[in-house]
Amino acid sequence: MFTTTKTLRQAASAARTPLIKFTGPRKWDSGDHARQAHPASPTHELPKDFSSTPNSASFSSYRQQAQQHGPLGASSKIGKHSGHSLGPVEPAKGEYFDRNELPARFRRTPIDLAEIDAIETGGAALWS
Amino acid sequence: MFRSLLVPRVAARSAFKQQSLPTIFTPAIGRRGYATSEEKDMVIIGGGVAGYVAAIKAAQLGLKVSCIEKRGTLGGTCLNVGCIPSKALLNNSHLYHTVLHDTAGRGIEVGDVKLNLAKMMSSKEDSVTGLTKGVEFLFNKNGVEYIKGAASFTGEHDLKIELNDGGERTISGKNIIIATGSEAMPFPGLEVDEKRIITSTGALSLDKVPEHLVVIGGGIIGLEMGSVWSRLGAKVTVVEFQERIGGPGMDVELAKDSLKFLKKQKINFKMSTKVMSGDASGDKIKLELEAAKGGKQETLEADVVLLAIGRKPYTGGLGLENIGIEPDEKGRLVIDSEYRTKIPHIRVIGDCTFGPMLAHKAEEEAVAVAEYIVNGHGHVNYGTIPSVMYTHPEVAWVGQTEEQLKEDGVTYNVGNFKFSANSRAKTNLDTEGYVKILADKETDRILGAHIIGPNAGEMIAEATLAIEYGASSEDIARTCHAHPTLAEAFKEAAMSAYGQPIHQPPNVRK
Repeated sequence: MFTTTKTLRQAASAARTPLIKFTGPRKWDSGDHARQAHPASPTHELPKDFSSTPNSASFSSYRQQAQQHGPLGASSKIGKHSGHSLGPVEPAKGEYFDRNELPARFRRTPIDLAEIDAIETGGAALWS
Repeated sequence: MFRSLLVPRVAARSAFKQQSLPTIFTPAIGRRGYATSEEKDMVIIGGGVAGYVAAIKAAQLGLKVSCIEKRGTLGGTCLNVGCIPSKALLNNSHLYHTVLHDTAGRGIEVGDVKLNLAKMMSSKEDSVTGLTKGVEFLFNKNGVEYIKGAASFTGEHDLKIELNDGGERTISGKNIIIATGSEAMPFPGLEVDEKRIITSTGALSLDKVPEHLVVIGGGIIGLEMGSVWSRLGAKVTVVEFQERIGGPGMDVELAKDSLKFLKKQKINFKMSTKVMSGDASGDKIKLELEAAKGGKQETLEADVVLLAIGRKPYTGGLGLENIGIEPDEKGRLVIDSEYRTKIPHIRVIGDCTFGPMLAHKAEEEAVAVAEYIVNGHGHVNYGTIPSVMYTHPEVAWVGQTEEQLKEDGVTYNVGNFKFSANSRAKTNLDTEGYVKILADKETDRILGAHIIGPNAGEMIAEATLAIEYGASSEDIARTCHAHPTLAEAFKEAAMSAYGQPIHQPPNVRK
């Protein structure tokens, strides 16, 4: 019976492709938050006071317009997020910022002064 | 070997937590405290459908939320004096009318049938109370602070609240949502007392059935409340300025048929007629009427006059002048596509801004605004907002009307199916109406669906989903629908749009 159902489904899908299709999990494009007119706005445009003139009375209004190595507003990726929102400044488990944080067996072998001198003198120091 | 374990310091700083980059706003959980405990991530003014849904959604997304409502109960116009109580009265008045007039043919003999209006009103109140308390329960469970009082802006982040219980408090919000809804449009010269000159609010609480109810305005609210009181025994006259009922969104063909059905129910209509003035000083209210294009005049006497000429945004007392926000010429607060006013952290949703004044539109916006703030994205498709008129038969529609398609020069196919050919409608002895589907002539994509008939308000959900997904009429027609159901009429109308229905002769328009 299962085989019959499967066959019928295959036959149906071969005959016709519906317009409704599952296109996979939803993906949001949230990159651009530049101001645009509301879709139901009767004028289809924003008033002039929605323009780029900063409102100094509000820090958030100021930040929308402010520039620092590029725009700080939500439409920009620069300065868009506080450092806090990026999470803790700690490496993940098993990762290290510095070789000296690794277990001892992975660290550099200490170099003594004689070896340094030898390298710097092209080996001559060994014979002096 | 250890090389793979090492992450350069700079790279590590910029690379980790890449997945969280889209986060625009970090919820307060785990954040550093601020100077005042009264600062919230989101403060919402208005506990109606827009406000309470935004509050719950924002709380679900991790924000610290307060919702301020001055009515004393949550749910706004919809739950308290709008959609919900009107549906309670529509349903019970329909039952009463059916028992009075439509039982003999069904083989049911009933004795003396009496209306107990007080009991009907108390049943309506039970529905309202249950739902408003339910919202309060949800606030509690989602950790939303519910403040009973009237809020006004004292600064861009600051609100003063006159508490209902007396006293005052202040609160500030990183984000503030204005969701203060709408109120009935007044009629010059007729002062509302909610007893004789009433709005929809008063029409839900009359203490006796009026002898003659005159409804000014043949839109959805006027026709629903007119239907209620007509079924309960009042003589009802609807005065409409336009040539058609149902408002501008209703397909003309459906508006004409709806008018026909309502006239059969003994509701009187004076179309293309304007009310020039009213006098409520005597025992009867006298209305002076004139043909909309001028000419014929007459006087109409009424016991109760219902003003149903539309609604307007309600933003009074918010102190918007303190923050430099001004409504447009129709009283709406101007917003951008992410509901932001010119002060970006103050956003507006629901009836007091653009778009149709519908509870389900407000609800969609409420979810979207919370998502915009927390996730940086939201979604409302203003092309797929359904409308329903809960008269009998119900009228429901979504998408474009034939008139709009003609105006835009779009070629389309029409699929029609009558409920008189639907098996379930036949068994229910409720066969007035039809389903009309409009599909693009070239692609067969559904552009609009218009239903007049039993259960139209429920059936429109299928059409809305189809339009949202960009379905063709053939998609609907090839989808199995249970038998016997009213929804089969929708499937057959889809069959009619791209081919031919099974249970209706060809070329039957309706």
